[in-house]
Amino acid sequence: MASAPLRPADRASLLQVPRQWPAYLVALVAIALLPYVLSTPYWRGILVVCAMNVMLALSLNLILGYTGQLNLGQSGFFAIGAYVTTVLVKSYSWNFWAAALIAVICAGLVGLLLAAFAVRLRGHYLGIASLGFAVIAYQILLNWESVTEGVRGIYGIMPPSPIRIPGLPEITFSNPVALFWLVGGIAFVVYVVVANLLRSPVGETLRAIREDEVSAASLGINPARWKAFAFGIGSAIAGLAGCFYPGFVGTLVPDAFGIVESFTMMAMVIVGGMGTMIGPVIGAIVLTCLPELLRDFGELRLMVYGLALTLVVLFMPGGMVQAGQMLRARFSRASSGASR
Amino acid sequence: MSDTLSLILQQSINGVYLGCLYVMVALGLTLIYGVMNQINFAHADFVTVGAFTAFFVVTRFATKVLGLPDTVAYLMSIVLALASGALMGLLINATVFGPLRERGDELRPLIATIGVSVLLENGQLALFGPIPYQFDSPFGKETIRIGKIFFTQQSVLVVVCAALAIGALYWFMKFTTTGKALRAVSQDRETAGLMGINQGFLIGLTIVIASALAGAAGALIGPVLVLTPFAGASVVVKAFAIVIIGGFGNMEGTILAGILVGIIEAFTVQYLGSGVIDLVVFVLLLLMLVVKPTGLIAERREENV
Repeated sequence: MASAPLRPADRASLLQVPRQWPAYLVALVAIALLPYVLSTPYWRGILVVCAMNVMLALSLNLILGYTGQLNLGQSGFFAIGAYVTTVLVKSYSWNFWAAALIAVICAGLVGLLLAAFAVRLRGHYLGIASLGFAVIAYQILLNWESVTEGVRGIYGIMPPSPIRIPGLPEITFSNPVALFWLVGGIAFVVYVVVANLLRSPVGETLRAIREDEVSAASLGINPARWKAFAFGIGSAIAGLAGCFYPGFVGTLVPDAFGIVESFTMMAMVIVGGMGTMIGPVIGAIVLTCLPELLRDFGELRLMVYGLALTLVVLFMPGGMVQAGQMLRARFSRASSGASR
Repeated sequence: MSDTLSLILQQSINGVYLGCLYVMVALGLTLIYGVMNQINFAHADFVTVGAFTAFFVVTRFATKVLGLPDTVAYLMSIVLALASGALMGLLINATVFGPLRERGDELRPLIATIGVSVLLENGQLALFGPIPYQFDSPFGKETIRIGKIFFTQQSVLVVVCAALAIGALYWFMKFTTTGKALRAVSQDRETAGLMGINQGFLIGLTIVIASALAGAAGALIGPVLVLTPFAGASVVVKAFAIVIIGGFGNMEGTILAGILVGIIEAFTVQYLGSGVIDLVVFVLLLLMLVVKPTGLIAERREENV
């Protein structure tokens, strides 16, 4: 793919109301209504997982899809978000929201730290180095027992603490509907911020680096700085997703953050459509729900991830977004042919 | 001989034994990378497939069906595990690397092999279940004792197998026409193609050899492995570290780094406990990437802009 031409007129600030506001409105309505459409506790739980996975897929897509850096370490940042929040809340009695803020900052800083030397590496080396980071993070969770409880895990984790605004009724998150609104709402905000970021000159810069790092550098772009920037933001978002995981599941064990999780996130991004905004969202939702729908097939259902990932890379490198475009093109061609 | 000295010697021997196992796995990764600049993430699962093949040969086929003695059965299982690895190599070349080779992308084949890996792991999980399997090597029962140093026949067998594999590979690469053609492909694919070398065949051959090594390694490591469908992953993650520490695509570097990591692991177990092995190995990997990203022995590589 050739790099997109620069469109200075298209510059947007992070909070600008974008042109596709009708689609955003539909998304918000969907988030509001979904817990009542899928009203069993089981499916409400899956909705929360969907929202978390959407955030994770968005975070990886920013690094992999828009900056072209093979990052297999996202599970590590997810873990940082989850453990920092939980340890601060359980062991130090912090307020959840303060703990979550610190956790996101921690994940972002560790992401920058990893980026500090990862930006010198390319392609496969970066892949293995980031995989190494994920392994180290996992091993620290296992071995630092005085803080993380190791394999025993941390139990009885409460959902995010209620928000008290004077004059309004207290907002609690102990029921799954409210929790989904919270996590889904945050996933929505993350989407809008990332989409606007990528429409801004920053996005153009990141894409230029992805397409050709040397040419980008010759235009006065500092690839290392911008790659580190993408890494930092992506890690912080993964950490943000991690904040809500323990409160939802109630327990925290290191096995939830193995390197397989990084692979799962990658499957979501690739199957949905790498390098597009909506692709990873679709990928995350489909790959979260599909195994649940296939629950009757027992262990075989987990093969779906592997099969989908392999088949998409082989036959449909643009993922489901590309498949949709091809279908639409064929459909419009067929209809215009009929009208003639 | 003092106790400290004999302890150091003992752990070094354990380390070399472990290192040889890692070398057999890591060599396959480095071979594939050297020839086609690709990483095969499913390599891990070829080790698992080899180990499961060995398990069924040792516990069922060779002993129960053919009625062979334990030792012959185990040796036979190594050969069959090698064959099963080679078969996996053929399959992954036909389905993933072959079709994607001409599209000149370094990310896509890697991601496809991650898919294959997840597929194989969960496929084996569906077949064999999550409960670990266990089988013993008939060579692991008796220990050989020299002075204060102990080791099993199994460790001798592993070192011999690794040495044989390395020797055969060197002979193949240096002295056969096919091996020379292979080195030509790894140096410059386009020019090699212009000289009439059939790259498709050679790349396929490399993948088959690499996967066969992984399968055989599975049979050798099987008796000390908690044999689940995910067992190979723990070994291969270390093999990745080894190929990076040694210098990606460089055979000598990989062998050196493999033995080194084996020895470091043995001493880590002795002085720090077995829980922190991966931590030590991967911190070493990250340090290596900071200090000398090209690895112990750098592969000369030109970069086209």
